[in-house]
Amino acid sequence: MKKITAIILISISAIVPVPAQQSEQDNASVKPKFRFAPLHIYLDSGSQPLAAYQFELKAPAGQVKIVGVEGGEHKAFKEAPYYDPAALANDRIIIAAFNTGRELPKGRTRIATIHLQIIGDAEPDYELKLVVAADADAKEIPAKISFEKGE
Amino acid sequence: MTEKKGHFDEDLDLRISPKLSEDLNTLFEPQFSVPPELDRAIMDQANRCLVQRHWRHRVFRHISIWRIAAAAAVIILAFSLNLTQKPGPTTTSSFIVEAQAVDIDRNGRVDILDAFKLARHIESADRSKTNLSPVSSTGQALRKQGWDINGDGVVNRKDVDLVALAAVRLDKNKGVL
Repeated sequence: MKKITAIILISISAIVPVPAQQSEQDNASVKPKFRFAPLHIYLDSGSQPLAAYQFELKAPAGQVKIVGVEGGEHKAFKEAPYYDPAALANDRIIIAAFNTGRELPKGRTRIATIHLQIIGDAEPDYELKLVVAADADAKEIPAKISFEKGE
Repeated sequence: MTEKKGHFDEDLDLRISPKLSEDLNTLFEPQFSVPPELDRAIMDQANRCLVQRHWRHRVFRHISIWRIAAAAAVIILAFSLNLTQKPGPTTTSSFIVEAQAVDIDRNGRVDILDAFKLARHIESADRSKTNLSPVSSTGQALRKQGWDINGDGVVNRKDVDLVALAAVRLDKNKGVL
């Protein structure tokens, strides 16, 4: 009886510290400097009214985490756009929005702001790709997407 | 080495004389006789007590082993599951939207334009004050198109949201970049 108890307790004490040490090591290794910064996304639809858009942003893995998404400057896109919540704490996100109203922005307008947690001192390189932009009749229109780093 | 040591008296005679034995027997002999039935009863009782205690001890021992083993298994399982890692957020709806169902414009691609087009359909029906209830003809027509994505019998903003969420879902493809 005592022998079995001793064996079980020794087994537990041998196994349990392993994940505990691992998590300590993980915590110790994930302690570099980080900062928060917004990334403003702009879309220029020229003379066409912008009614819908979808784009994808990808940041370098392990260097950037997406922590929040906010709407644009024009009231047609003021509300937070659609995105997969699984993108938060991730390095990739697909963002989209539409407005069925008649008051739509034209020209260059800020369509969204993405809040990021940047790990380390290096300035990350972002990959931004416009999937689609459309006018009020849901017809695809040419548009130019760009971003500005905020402070 | 062969020398005998004096304090080891190996030749000591341990036999006792018959006279001494008789005297000791007389001295310690019980003054009364115990009936064999009583003797047997006492022995039986003692045996029963010992057997019960033995079984109780064995059962307790087995239960303790199982308890310890169960506790060990729970602890090991808890650590193997890595409870510190929180599950990532998932899409707001538990409804699994199939890509085919949400490809409203049937262009083979699910994007925000599918949601936009569905929203425009719904709004135009609203503007013409068309009844979108499940029993109305317009409502049935929209559902026949397969646009009742969540299957609640009504084509409305909730269906639009599901299509839009399907468009931005990360796991639908590896990405366009």
